[in-house]
Amino acid sequence: MRNLLLLIAKYGSTITLLFLEVICFYIIINYNQSQKEIWGHSAGLFSGYVNNQVQDASDYFKLQSLNDSLLVENSKLLSTIINYRVNSKENGFRIFETQDSSLLKYTFAPARIINKTINLRNNHITINKGIKDSVTVGMGVVSKNGIVGIVKNVSENYAVVMTILHHQSKISAAIKNNDFHGTLVWPGEDTRIMNLMTLPRHAEITRGDTILTSGYSTIFPYGIEIGTIKDFKIEGGEDSFSIDVELFNDLAKMTHVYLVKNIGQVEQEVLEIDNE
Amino acid sequence: MIDLGFLSYGHFFIYPLWIMLLPFKLPRPILMVLAFIMGLIVDMFYDSPGVHAATLVFTAYAREFVLRILEPEIGFDLDQPFSLKRLGIVWYIAYAALFLIIHLFVYFSIEVFSYVYFYEIMMSTISSLIFSVFIIVIFVMISNPKY
Repeated sequence: MRNLLLLIAKYGSTITLLFLEVICFYIIINYNQSQKEIWGHSAGLFSGYVNNQVQDASDYFKLQSLNDSLLVENSKLLSTIINYRVNSKENGFRIFETQDSSLLKYTFAPARIINKTINLRNNHITINKGIKDSVTVGMGVVSKNGIVGIVKNVSENYAVVMTILHHQSKISAAIKNNDFHGTLVWPGEDTRIMNLMTLPRHAEITRGDTILTSGYSTIFPYGIEIGTIKDFKIEGGEDSFSIDVELFNDLAKMTHVYLVKNIGQVEQEVLEIDNE
Repeated sequence: MIDLGFLSYGHFFIYPLWIMLLPFKLPRPILMVLAFIMGLIVDMFYDSPGVHAATLVFTAYAREFVLRILEPEIGFDLDQPFSLKRLGIVWYIAYAALFLIIHLFVYFSIEVFSYVYFYEIMMSTISSLIFSVFIIVIFVMISNPKY
């Protein structure tokens, strides 16, 4: 109580000022036409601004779930496109329905990268999907701009992906439009450059040609664009090109990937192993 | 019609004189309450509810700062009223001018209620200041010559 009295004694005039000014401004704003209009306008601007900021903030917190739902949607679209492409290549242009399960050869599921290496000789990434989400060893991993790698290890909730930037990585890739195919490996220097080998020397190629997955494997479907031809040469005495391919994908700044499941993978592999 | 240039913005204000001349010793909150009542009465005649009251309350609050700036070296004689004769015409004009600058600036700001019209606010303040100081000093001289 004593402190309160001291406070009033010390700041009494300021308190009186504020009190009286509040009354005055209340009167001004309510009983003067022009001030009332200006006040209404300014208050509208201010509350509009505040509402906008609040909306932005709450949008920000919704981004996570929005992202996830977009990823699921993307993977569905990706599945439609890839299956359509694969079917049209195999069967000509036929009406294709995703509901027709016999024509559904690949399924896609989104995943988030939670750890990655990029500057080693053998690079891996870890994703937040595991056995629970029916991830299995040998599934392909693609991103919106190309291929990423192959699932190598799976735990309950996570999976480790061997990226294409790995010395064991061998991807079957083809030149768009003429179907000559070779093996894509990573020579190990630049993370944006890979090397396409074993492409026969009579293949017609030019700089800038697009390289895509050939579909001659059980992992990646046909037609995912990987990169463009940056440079090519024939080593003396070799019968195949050595081609530098500039990737569309930049693994360094990737955050989301899609897991590709080839539904006929096991059947095909068993058949091929029996054959050997 | 004579074109007065920027002076055509001017009005003159005499009523702040009352707050100017209230005794030194009057506590500030009471001064402000008196200013509030005075302002409301003025507003009744100008049909601008609250504008003069808000201005006058603020000016009453600021009076102490004005007096502190203008305090002579020997200090004020707190029991004496503000007297033109005792304090001198120069001091009186300075007091009126400082007091009115605050009053007029606040008044015109509240009247237009928007910083968009800053130029008009400044013009009105300056031209009204010249009129008002002149009128107030004359008024004091005429109405109370023995001080």
